[in-house]
Amino acid sequence: MPRYLAIILGLTLLAAPAAASDQAVKEAHPHDRLHGHSEVPGAKGQCADCHLCAEPTAEDPCMVSCARHGGQFRGVHEVAEGPGVVVIDQLAARYEPVVFAHELHASMAAMSGGCTNCHHYSEDSGAIPTCRQCHAADRSEVDLSMPALKGAYHRQCMNCHLDWSGDNSCDFCHREAAEPGAPVAHDATDIVGIPHPVIEAVATYTYETSHADAPVVTFHHSDHVDVFGQQCVDCHRGDSCKSCHHGDQKPAEHARLDHVTSCCACHGERDCNFCHGREPMPRFDHALSTGFDLAPYHAGRACQDCHGDPRAFRYPSGDCAECHIHWEDGGFDHGITGLVLSADHEENDCSDCHVDLDFARRPSCDDCHDDYRFPAESPHCEICLNLMNEGDGRAAAPSCGHEVRRPVNPGRP
Amino acid sequence: MVTRRDFIKCAGGAVAALGGVETALASTGPHLDPDRVGVLCDFTLCIGCRRCEFACAEEAGLPHGELRAYDDTGVFAATRRPDAESLTVINRYPALSADHKPLDVKVNCLHCEHPACVSACPVTALQKNALGPVTYDPWRCIGCRYCMVACPFQIPAYEYHDATAPRVMKCTLCQDRTLEQGRPPACVEICPQEALLYGSRASLLRVAKARIEAHPDRYVDHVYGETEAGGTSWLYLADRDFHQLDLPEVASTSPAEVTESIQHGIFKGFSGPLMLAALVGVILKSAGACEKCEAEAAARNEAGKEADHE
Ligand code: SF4
Ligand code: SF4
Repeated sequence: MPRYLAIILGLTLLAAPAAASDQAVKEAHPHDRLHGHSEVPGAKGQCADCHLCAEPTAEDPCMVSCARHGGQFRGVHEVAEGPGVVVIDQLAARYEPVVFAHELHASMAAMSGGCTNCHHYSEDSGAIPTCRQCHAADRSEVDLSMPALKGAYHRQCMNCHLDWSGDNSCDFCHREAAEPGAPVAHDATDIVGIPHPVIEAVATYTYETSHADAPVVTFHHSDHVDVFGQQCVDCHRGDSCKSCHHGDQKPAEHARLDHVTSCCACHGERDCNFCHGREPMPRFDHALSTGFDLAPYHAGRACQDCHGDPRAFRYPSGDCAECHIHWEDGGFDHGITGLVLSADHEENDCSDCHVDLDFARRPSCDDCHDDYRFPAESPHCEICLNLMNEGDGRAAAPSCGHEVRRPVNPGRP
Repeated sequence: MVTRRDFIKCAGGAVAALGGVETALASTGPHLDPDRVGVLCDFTLCIGCRRCEFACAEEAGLPHGELRAYDDTGVFAATRRPDAESLTVINRYPALSADHKPLDVKVNCLHCEHPACVSACPVTALQKNALGPVTYDPWRCIGCRYCMVACPFQIPAYEYHDATAPRVMKCTLCQDRTLEQGRPPACVEICPQEALLYGSRASLLRVAKARIEAHPDRYVDHVYGETEAGGTSWLYLADRDFHQLDLPEVASTSPAEVTESIQHGIFKGFSGPLMLAALVGVILKSAGACEKCEAEAAARNEAGKEADHE
């Protein structure tokens, strides 16, 4: 046998087991997961690029945390939680670092989709990764299908900036660097340092519709914001910057927007009359609409205190005890109802007067006091009770030992 | 006498005998590296900042103003073409609707896979590099400007203003940077939007198709340059039909391939010239025969005259 044949045969025998075990590893690995990962920033084509432990198994793959696998942005963050300004200086060669008004943008984004407008991925924990965690500064290091840092930044900014201003000039954000690498100073009173000014909304909109019997639709914007506690983003989901900003012009008033979530998204179950009428409708009044007057004791309550989450609106039964069950002895200042309990009554249990803890039914003195003097023969008591029932705040001068005073709004618990 | 029909038959026969038309057609076209590079230009990402125009002029040593002079969008009022001083230009086309933004279109040499300009150049001043770029060597160029006529995209320009050493001017994909230094072209490097993506043509095609698939509402389902003129190294993505962007609808076979197959067919094995020589020979021969008749007739005339005298 010629010598080279012997060498080839030897090499083949040597290589065979190695190839086989390699094959086994590859087959055991979920290939689809590998797809597109060969060029992630910093990857060296080794197991450790993705696995933290030396021997990952299907049960415990010990994957490194990757924002992309955390899924679409899920965190819930208040504007104020984020930084006021962000200095972007990773690419400062021709230009000074960019001072990005994060708070200003975050408050605007609140009207058009929230944080997710820019922060498209979040980690499992809900934490927001920085752009450069995924987008490498060096383009040659990245997967072609993913923009590098420069592209990622510019696309985020320019997509909106072009939209509303049509201005693509670099100096909107960049100042040419006098001296590359010099620290950047920014004026805190400049627009980049402040949040978006409060948006003055029109209190009430009325719309003429083609509905023959009830053409007028009234929308009380201020009720939704001030009374029902809706956030801008609850309705203004798809607004683009252009909805308010037209080039250099400042929006004169809170413009009517076409992209808002429709009324039916929340009020879909209601009948037509809920929105449509012949005349503009008055603002929401709890007593008129529901027959339950919030004044005076419940006026300061937030809707959800009684009705729960607005998306799963709950109708309380009207049984006060549904809520009022948790007063401990001596823990309730009866005075806020307008009737200060006299020393004789202070020791009573709630149910002594409010039978079956039915607070809706107003107890009357003669429920307990059936002697002749009360109430018929005691003008003082009558005066007090009348005052109490009318909720009148005039001070009385009772001789029966009770003090009557103006009911005060119960504060939040 | 040789009729036209006979001539074509003979010529065809001779060519077929010398290797066959099939081989002649297939043998055209340069050798191309499977990893040859290209640029994917996504018009929907371009913002018309014209930084690429600046970077191109700077790299090519062509006259250019300050960087901020390129902020001027007034140039978009007219549709521009690349010329001897701007090898790439951006043109702006109106937005499709209020929800769209205007489309900015980058125009330059597309670096055809099988370039007509290269084919037309008699002195190989233009060459298709196996790695993608269509390069230019001004020292070889004789200024015949055949390339300008041949290019289906009307790209090459000429330095008419230079009386001493005029050059043909077109994008060379920054041949020094890309081929010698392994760096991306200057326009790609400066583009802030990464609307320009430099990489292997094969992977760019994959990226382009993935974008169309992921955003069918954003793109027309067409990667311009995938097949146009036999394929080009530059690939374009847009939100509308490309002919609306003044990009010509060209056949998917390279014009060079067509003309070369005819030419190579004719000249294969020097058969064409031989046929021509043969044809000329036949013609000359028949012409010669007539001259002989005339000479004989003249001789007969002369003899008759002499007999009359006698
Ligand atoms: S576009 Fe024109 S100049 Fe460029 S390679 Fe093709 S034929 Fe040549
Ligand atoms: S640099 Fe990029 S974004 Fe700017 S005009 Fe050129 S291709 Fe368009």
